[in-house]
Amino acid sequence: MTSQTTIHLTINGRDHSLNVEPRVTLLDALRDRLDLTGTKKGCDHGQCGACTVHVDGERVLACLTLAAQVEGREITTIEGLAGADGTLDAVQAAFLEQDAFQCGYCTPGQIMSAVACIREGHANSDDEIREYMAGNLCRCGAYPNIVAAVRQAALEVVS
Amino acid sequence: MTVHNIRHADSRHGDASDGAVGGRLSRVDGPAKITGAAKYAFEQQLDGLAHAVMVEATIAAGTVRAIDTRAAETTPGVLLVLTPDTIMEIKGASDWLGNPPTQKTYSPLARTVTYSGQHIAAVVAETFEQAVAAAALIEVSYDETPAIVDLSDPKAGDGIPIDAMTKEWGDAEAAFAAAPVRICAAYNTQREYQAAMEPHGLIARWQGEELTIWEPSQWLDGMARTYAEWFGVPFENVRLVSPYIGGGFGSKALALAHSAVAAASAKMLGRPVKLVLTRPQNFTSYGGRAATRQTVTIGAGRDGKIQSIVHRGVNETAVDGMWVEPLASVTSIMYATPNFSSKQNVVRVNTVVPGAKRAPGENPSAFGIECAIDELAHEVGIDPLEIRLRNYAEQDPEAKKAWSTRQLREAFASGAERFGWSKRSPKPRSMRDGHQLIGWGVAAGTYPVRRAYGEAIVRILADGSVEVESSSIDMGQGTYTILAQTAAETVGVAADDVVVKLGDSRYARAGVAGGSRLAGVMTGAVYKAATSALDQLVGLAISDPRSPFHALQANTLVVANGRLRSPRGDGPDVSIAELLASVGRDRIEAAGDTMPANSTAEDRYKNYTTIATSIPHTEGNYSRHSWCAHFIEVRVDEDFGTVRVSRVVSALDSGRLYNPKLAESQWKGGIIMGIGQALLEEGIVDRRHGRIVNNNLADYLVPTNADIPDIEVISVGIPDLHSSVLGGKGVGELAIVGVAPAIANAVFHATGKRVRDLPITLEKLI
Ligand code: FES
Ligand code: FES
Repeated sequence: MTSQTTIHLTINGRDHSLNVEPRVTLLDALRDRLDLTGTKKGCDHGQCGACTVHVDGERVLACLTLAAQVEGREITTIEGLAGADGTLDAVQAAFLEQDAFQCGYCTPGQIMSAVACIREGHANSDDEIREYMAGNLCRCGAYPNIVAAVRQAALEVVS
Repeated sequence: MTVHNIRHADSRHGDASDGAVGGRLSRVDGPAKITGAAKYAFEQQLDGLAHAVMVEATIAAGTVRAIDTRAAETTPGVLLVLTPDTIMEIKGASDWLGNPPTQKTYSPLARTVTYSGQHIAAVVAETFEQAVAAAALIEVSYDETPAIVDLSDPKAGDGIPIDAMTKEWGDAEAAFAAAPVRICAAYNTQREYQAAMEPHGLIARWQGEELTIWEPSQWLDGMARTYAEWFGVPFENVRLVSPYIGGGFGSKALALAHSAVAAASAKMLGRPVKLVLTRPQNFTSYGGRAATRQTVTIGAGRDGKIQSIVHRGVNETAVDGMWVEPLASVTSIMYATPNFSSKQNVVRVNTVVPGAKRAPGENPSAFGIECAIDELAHEVGIDPLEIRLRNYAEQDPEAKKAWSTRQLREAFASGAERFGWSKRSPKPRSMRDGHQLIGWGVAAGTYPVRRAYGEAIVRILADGSVEVESSSIDMGQGTYTILAQTAAETVGVAADDVVVKLGDSRYARAGVAGGSRLAGVMTGAVYKAATSALDQLVGLAISDPRSPFHALQANTLVVANGRLRSPRGDGPDVSIAELLASVGRDRIEAAGDTMPANSTAEDRYKNYTTIATSIPHTEGNYSRHSWCAHFIEVRVDEDFGTVRVSRVVSALDSGRLYNPKLAESQWKGGIIMGIGQALLEEGIVDRRHGRIVNNNLADYLVPTNADIPDIEVISVGIPDLHSSVLGGKGVGELAIVGVAPAIANAVFHATGKRVRDLPITLEKLI
């Protein structure tokens, strides 16, 4: 497979066009072609959640998504979460405060998932947060602090 | 090219004292990590980067007859296909102890296969996708021979005795035979994997005879030495860059076969090459924790006092590599016993050579002894906590030396109190909630204080800020943060005004980040360098004729919050920046190290590039260890046998904590990994092919958020100045030790069933 195609992606409000083979995943497009390495690759098989991004506001695994599939959709990555002036999203700030990470490798995926989890209305109790955040693995074991951060951010988002 | 050099944004919450050593400063590398700005090693974007993919053996034993690369070679974009025949010659390298190589050359691509998943070929292409597609076209034929798939394989045998592991005092066999109470049981731990979320991988680039490697690394100088020896270039020609590490847990301290392949292909192509292992390859390209078997026999009095411990252990190792998991490391020191005997064998099986995973040795060792003492408690009808206190070791029973500090009694007391242990009903199966059986278990853990020498550079810059440089690393333990706190407190500036630069082998040298030694080593080195920078600053302020303090005739000055003044408060009050400007200096630089004074350059090289110079934890008059006690509640579904951990209270003695917020996180992480080991994780071998069948993150079950309850951790440590310059002991490895036995003991309490074989899965309970 050698044929390249030009695709147009809207990422964090900016338009990008790139020449890639149709088999290129959104994850590899972000990391290898667009220098958006905040989105992580942990498994490349939809098993760990490290590559979680938002497509039209919903959480999506970038490793299981072809770049060509998301043409014309709104893609948000961890780099696009803070405000233009650098103001952190409530979830980002809560992660820092609660020490909800150690190595930081799962963290962008956790944060993207957490933002969606709150938006989906699935952050009403610690048990619900644990369940709806269970698709994002953290080998450093930051889970209790992640739950605390999501709980804190959910309250801030609501209020 | 991107070099890690960001000034970390203000991440402080709470009050100013958080910036001092012992304060709860938030991670200074946190803002970079939560915004996606933190560039991990192989995320560097280089011009002309080619992409490599490894091809691995699909048999567990035999020889490679032929590798047909024709289809791969003609695939679009392919630049190079490497096989054992076509890869450039690589020299043998010394091991991590510094022992010289046993072979003149090193073949990272194997002709003789000793385990499934061993690398035998590689493809380099213009893009990752092209390399993956071409690698799938490589055809390999083998002459297969029978493999020994694991410890239970009938061909495995009893293995090789490791005499250095033998520990004996008194007459353990005779004392056991004479003891009124005797228990004997066999305990097995499974093959486990580190499974860091960031896979292993690297970018290698040659510029003439200079090699730059961007690779996640727990040990830049050790790995740089290996690359230098492989490619026959001076150590100084190799630069390793590893600004952030996405988890290591013991797995990222060595340059591995795929690392050699990436560096070789970069040299052969004259282009930078990126190679990242797939998740399945991360299960076979380096070793996880070896599977272990132990028998623990305890002879005791009716009062529960131990009279004898006889311990025998076995761990698996590779056909062509040696790994000894020291199985008596906790057995020999946790309890006072007048008679003791331990021996250990290793058994060769067809696996990648096992490696270090969080608390190698101590972790499985504790599973044996901490379950066995629970069995003894049950046998003699004594509370499991009480029996531990009755057998409390007042000194190191093996080394016969005083403990430097041992807050284990305090750990038992405060853990029990918070957990509510006194409300435990002693009989198994006597606590329940509907159809859930409830069990409460306790176990202790320990980890030795591994010490080494370190060095650091501290600069005070023209703007009054402070810079720390070290080639040590931060894989989530918090090195960036605690070194900023150390430098801030020592020089007298705010932590925000300190920039810590790590993860580049061009900086001051550092030994391995393993065995929980780095924090103690590096805070000591930074303290020393920062003290000498401060002395220079004050010296200049007092003696330089251009200094506003010159006329004061003071013999010292106070530096606090980035300002200098006299101790009496008279005279000028100027900022560090103003002082430096007044004396015409743009910086002050001080190197500090904790090496013995007469060390030669050769000693230094050896200290930072091997582990041969580690200082024994029993050196001098003391035996130095961290300690912990875990109290765990499980709920076991009576019908289905499913086990859930519902509550954890752990009290831990890591000495002085440099930053409690970060130490608590590491403790919790260790406890969670221990829950995985106890209930979920197991490398499952296909007995026909000797292959790990669950070599991915869906089938190898690491704990998820939904598996983990609230965890309460309590620090009971006190500063231990025998262990480190600033009084800390180890943090990272400690907390996993004792978790699995606490869970197994809780499961016994819940169900009356003793599961001695990890993980405790439902089929073992119904
Ligand atoms: S990298 Fe996409 S789920 Fe793991
Ligand atoms: S912070 Fe390391 S994997 Fe989650």
